[in-house]
Amino acid sequence: MDSRLDNAPCGYFSITDAGIIREVNQTLLNMLQHDNPELAGLHVESVLSVTNKLLFHTYFYPHIQLYGQVNEMYMSLRTNSGGDVPVLLNGIRRTRDGESRIDIVVVEMRKRIEHEKDVLQTKVKLQELYQATNEANKRLELLNEEYERKQQELMLINSRLEAMATTDPLTGLRNRRYFQDHLTTLLAKHQDSGQPLSMLIIDIDHFKHINDTYGHPIGDIVLAKLAELLQSMSRETDIIARFGGEEFVAILPETGKEQAVDIAEALCRATAATPMDDYRITISLGVATAEVGETNGTLVKKADTALYASKSGGRNRVTHAGDL
Amino acid sequence: MSIDILQRNHVKVLGSGDQTIVFAHGFGCDQEMWRHIVPAFEQNYRIVLFDYVGSGKSQIDLYDSTKYNDLHGYAQDVLDVMEALELKDTVFVGHSVSGMIGMLASIRNPEYFSRMIMIGSSPRYMNDQPDYFGGFNKSDIDELLEMMQLNFIGWASYLAPIVMQNSDRKELAEELERTFCSRDPHIARQFAEVTFYSDCRSSLEKASVPSLILQCSDDSISPVEVGDYLHAHLKNSKLRQMTAKGHYPQLSHPDEMAQCMKDYLAGV
Repeated sequence: MDSRLDNAPCGYFSITDAGIIREVNQTLLNMLQHDNPELAGLHVESVLSVTNKLLFHTYFYPHIQLYGQVNEMYMSLRTNSGGDVPVLLNGIRRTRDGESRIDIVVVEMRKRIEHEKDVLQTKVKLQELYQATNEANKRLELLNEEYERKQQELMLINSRLEAMATTDPLTGLRNRRYFQDHLTTLLAKHQDSGQPLSMLIIDIDHFKHINDTYGHPIGDIVLAKLAELLQSMSRETDIIARFGGEEFVAILPETGKEQAVDIAEALCRATAATPMDDYRITISLGVATAEVGETNGTLVKKADTALYASKSGGRNRVTHAGDL
Repeated sequence: MSIDILQRNHVKVLGSGDQTIVFAHGFGCDQEMWRHIVPAFEQNYRIVLFDYVGSGKSQIDLYDSTKYNDLHGYAQDVLDVMEALELKDTVFVGHSVSGMIGMLASIRNPEYFSRMIMIGSSPRYMNDQPDYFGGFNKSDIDELLEMMQLNFIGWASYLAPIVMQNSDRKELAEELERTFCSRDPHIARQFAEVTFYSDCRSSLEKASVPSLILQCSDDSISPVEVGDYLHAHLKNSKLRQMTAKGHYPQLSHPDEMAQCMKDYLAGV
């Protein structure tokens, strides 16, 4: 053997297809603590532990036979005294003098393999972490879905509650609270835009008499029927509410004095002309149109004053506060 | 359906003859390992080659880690291929763990098989002393798995699929594919575990298809004791000792192996 190969800084040996060692360089002999020429002629298994035999036969051998080359394989060689030398191995299968030979070089990797094992451990830990994170994320997603479902339920319940809180149960109209809130909002809008805004207060004439004569259940029917009529004659933007007792109110956005009076008179006529079940009623109305600096209180007060004028003027009629 | 199976297992059909020989590769290989044997039979037999799902050029996305956590999952591959090709009375040649996979398949559907040929097969690799000698202690197998892990960059790592999908590292993926004949390190590892921790001893007595056990001399994976054990527990089995050494006579001694197969099939 060439002396440079014999003493090259890597172990070199060659084996036959049957696995018999043919040549060994001095570096490998030193590595395995063997004396020349003990190794040549032995089967390669004689320098392999049980595990490494398994690795050699399931990995190295079929691979080099099928593809002619093995690169960067990690395995261990057995020393004469039974110790293991971890090595990095390259092999190539060639035909020389009509016979095929597998040339193998090995480099000791004692320090390197410790590093590799560290890396492997880190990878295993990372994988566990990655899996744990994935599972935690899945649980979070499920929780989030549940949370969203609950929130939807809550919003549905909330809107039902809100409707209940702003609705008059007897007539199905909006209640006084809703009216007050919206009057505030619409007044502010009116101040900003300069668009006119009017309101009506509607009171059933002699309602006490109906109650006293026919009883409260009939009074309730009359209230509900009138509410139905008022609602049916209102525009989409109008807000009709029950103010309390036999009193109703209407907010008429973007409506000036004349139009408001027309609407009021139409309601007054329709009520007188429409039988409420078997009973006929009339209503008195007070109309007010908002002016500069108007507040909830002053507007309602003006409409109330106009209503009072309709009542004292003979009932079944409309009075606008501006005409007083 | 049949087209799916043929693609899934990368099935190749060649040669011509009245009888069909199905060749099944073992762990760490694919159908390439039969290339020196096939020429000796393709004149007189129809030849079927295939890769198990997860190996070679099979459709890797059909790998199911629950199904293939057991040799029965691989046996189903054998039966699927046979059903897809409407085979009957085949000669099944299984190398190493495939001898046992074929044996398990033959218990479930014996009509597909007329003869079995097992090469270097072992019903259990681990020793079960004092009654059974498989050749390996559990610590040897554990160490083997660790060494394979260190040899296989990214094996058992969640990073591996990323490496595989990264086109910059294409040559690495190809190298991994060639090294363990599997494109996915998780699959290769699971196949190794399923193979080396397997125990088929209790199934042997249920097998009825006549078989030939080809035993290499000096096979450190399936030692002579294992061949004797198989012969003693398999009905209608013949044991033939080869002069070939090692675990891959189909690669190292193809002529002798082909002759042994021909002798057996001729009834010698």
